[in-house]
Amino acid sequence: MTYQLTVEPLGETIEISEEQTLLDALLRSGIAIPYACGHGLCSTCKVDLLEGEVDLGDPSLFALMDFERADGKILACCATALSDLVIEADVDEDEDAVVHPISDLEGEVMELTDLTHDIKGMWIKLPGNGLKFQAGQYVNLAMPGVSGPRAFSLANPPSQPNLLEFQIKRVPEGAGTEIIHNRLKVGDRLSLSGPFGRFFVRKSAKLPMIFLAGGSGLSSCKAMVLDLLEADETEDITLFHGVRAQCDLYDHDLFRDLAESHDHFTYMAALSELNDNDQWAGATGFVSDVAAQHFANGFTGHKAYVCGPPAMIEASIRVLMKGRLFEKDIYTEKFVTLADGEAALARSPLFRRI
Amino acid sequence: MSENPKKLNLKQRYKLLTRGLDWETTYQPMDKVFPFDTFEGIKIHDWDGWEDPFRLTMDAYWKYQAEKERKLYAVIDSFAQNNGHMGITDARYVNAIKILLTGVTSLEYAAHRGFSHVGRHLRGVGPRVACQMQAIDELRHAQTQIHTLSHYNRYFDGFHDWRHMYDRVWYLSVPKSFFDDAMTAGPFEFVTAISFSFEYVLTNLLFVPFMSGAAYNGDMATVTFGFSAQSDEARHMTLGLEVIKFMLEQDEANVPIVQRWIDKWFWRGYRLLSLVAMMMDYMLPKRVMSWAEAWEMYYEDAGAALFEDLERYGLRPPKYADIATKEKNRLSHEVWSIFYNYTHAAAFHTWSPEDNELDWLSEKYPDTFDKMYRPRFDYWREQAAAGNRFYNQALPQLCTTCQIPMGFTEPDDPTKICFRESVFKHERYHFCSDGCKDIFDWEPEKYVQSWLPVHEIFKGNCGGTDLKDVLKWYHLNDGVDNMDYEGSPDQRLWAEWTANRSKAAE
Repeated sequence: MTYQLTVEPLGETIEISEEQTLLDALLRSGIAIPYACGHGLCSTCKVDLLEGEVDLGDPSLFALMDFERADGKILACCATALSDLVIEADVDEDEDAVVHPISDLEGEVMELTDLTHDIKGMWIKLPGNGLKFQAGQYVNLAMPGVSGPRAFSLANPPSQPNLLEFQIKRVPEGAGTEIIHNRLKVGDRLSLSGPFGRFFVRKSAKLPMIFLAGGSGLSSCKAMVLDLLEADETEDITLFHGVRAQCDLYDHDLFRDLAESHDHFTYMAALSELNDNDQWAGATGFVSDVAAQHFANGFTGHKAYVCGPPAMIEASIRVLMKGRLFEKDIYTEKFVTLADGEAALARSPLFRRI
Repeated sequence: MSENPKKLNLKQRYKLLTRGLDWETTYQPMDKVFPFDTFEGIKIHDWDGWEDPFRLTMDAYWKYQAEKERKLYAVIDSFAQNNGHMGITDARYVNAIKILLTGVTSLEYAAHRGFSHVGRHLRGVGPRVACQMQAIDELRHAQTQIHTLSHYNRYFDGFHDWRHMYDRVWYLSVPKSFFDDAMTAGPFEFVTAISFSFEYVLTNLLFVPFMSGAAYNGDMATVTFGFSAQSDEARHMTLGLEVIKFMLEQDEANVPIVQRWIDKWFWRGYRLLSLVAMMMDYMLPKRVMSWAEAWEMYYEDAGAALFEDLERYGLRPPKYADIATKEKNRLSHEVWSIFYNYTHAAAFHTWSPEDNELDWLSEKYPDTFDKMYRPRFDYWREQAAAGNRFYNQALPQLCTTCQIPMGFTEPDDPTKICFRESVFKHERYHFCSDGCKDIFDWEPEKYVQSWLPVHEIFKGNCGGTDLKDVLKWYHLNDGVDNMDYEGSPDQRLWAEWTANRSKAAE
């Protein structure tokens, strides 16, 4: 059983399952509220319950006092949902966030293409007004015969609300991606809900932007870059796409052409493990290291957007921080799969978002 | 936008309430008004880059703290009215809270002073407000701790003059010198030492043993104090994290300075916690967990996640953390042995562990206890039974840095005492470990001033030449507060109570 959890003042709605604490649901959705002890002793994660019913859990009587309980305060690290909820939390509003209501839609598979040997391009046509979203966000796809939805980033810009583009990497033994790669046919119908996520461009910062994409993490970066180029933004944009070998590279010509036709857009693909027969004159090495070489004077004064698997994100964060760019200017979208396990989410409270 | 003003969020409201409280001075240059926040080498380019770790205003603060105190004092009152001290597992437990009162309460008060000082001397208004708030918390903790524990002073010995003892008694110079070292450093080192290393990295190893120990042994008043204090502790931990991030992000040159402080204060804190290790493994009639287990859970696991995150800034885990991990199966036994030797000069009792307690230690320390420590305790017990309770009559050599008697062993040989030394201006100084030696070597001018209790006794600065004079100078009641628990007034009183109780039950 899952419920809807709406977080004010963001106005954003996420899903929360019965046995999940509010804190867990918030952090997994990328909504950073302050927390420290994680088990009801310190009261750092205190929030206001505006609507709905919760099980308070077992917080200390000093961390959540009687008069606070009577006032509708709850501790996010202990409370679980008993209904749909609305809470108000100490969370930073982002002036670049646009709240689009989450909708449930059904679309038709228009095209399926092998972008590489293990990444499938999929286009889904939506009826009516399509889907309103911010470039960088994702949707949940319901996979026929698989329990639980799968999250995939949108690769099309928001200007194209009726034709959603996905770039889906096959996960070994992943039931969801197996269906897309092997069984789905053009003409099949899929249910989806969205948009979700807090990965979007902070346009109001008016700072040059760096995009670091690892593998199929290119999808959300593609949506963001296309959106920026359409909008005639003048800030410099640099896109790095890191893959293993030439056979893993895709959308290469598209971005090369865009770089040719836009002076403020730079595109670099980085190959980390060239095959013997690869004819490659471009950058080699891990994408984060290639970015560090390119920005030899450091990253200060930029906004960086990083999207890809956990190890690539971690390596990129380290390189960015070494180049003196810190949490407030780094945005990440982690593609966590079954294969990454729980360890991919284990961190200390030192950082809130990254 | 302006026609439809949005409600400010907490962060914006707090910013409006706290920023702009300061001003650029004109009669005197800022560097003269804030003379201490630059000499350490920490470079701050933008004080407004400070993220407020907790957003609490004074009116909300009073409201919350008043409610916490109402709760706590209700429990303290009912504990007193119901003779709560009769409900503890055993009077030996009381010795653990004697250490809490004499050692830790004074640290809370010292923290109050330290944060008031730092709150005055940081020129940025954000951190200044945060430090002032913490200073008030620490004062509250000291006061509530004193009130909670004062109940025991009516019945048990060793509680009567803890303030005086903190400044004089030999083993209390361990916590005192730790905090004095921090308070006499610059403001950034102080917050790194106390807020980060102590309150964040090591706090669970101090707090959980005392509070769970109290809970397991029927001391509900102390448990309640613990919950009350811990509800403030999160603010302190968050301040510790924020201060580290702030320094590391402001300037690259700050990174090596912070690294050195983390190395130093990890080791200083760890050595201080050896008193807690002894308390956990030997002084709780009903045990919670062993020191080794606590170290694994709170340092090896939780610490690993933190230092992995800090690596992103180019920091590495504290130097000698591996030594602390090597020592986890011997630390408490070595320290208890030291105190067993010198109980005649301490304001609490030690004793020979009972058989079931020795068995528990054998089980918790399968690789070390039976081989190295149990035979020693068996021998001491035999001697005590034969009327030869051993009290070491020679004064111990102290480590110049941590001030603990030199009883720790070589990292790779637990049968050999570890000695390190340094020569500074033709004088030789002694250390219990490489960690303590490094700290001295970095700032010898500071540590040559250490007030080492044994040296001071020999110099004639502690009331006289024999033990009785020194104990008098400590305000320690000879034959009452000190010596083995066996035969102490505490033990006689407890035996009388339990006898009356079993009589009443008949």
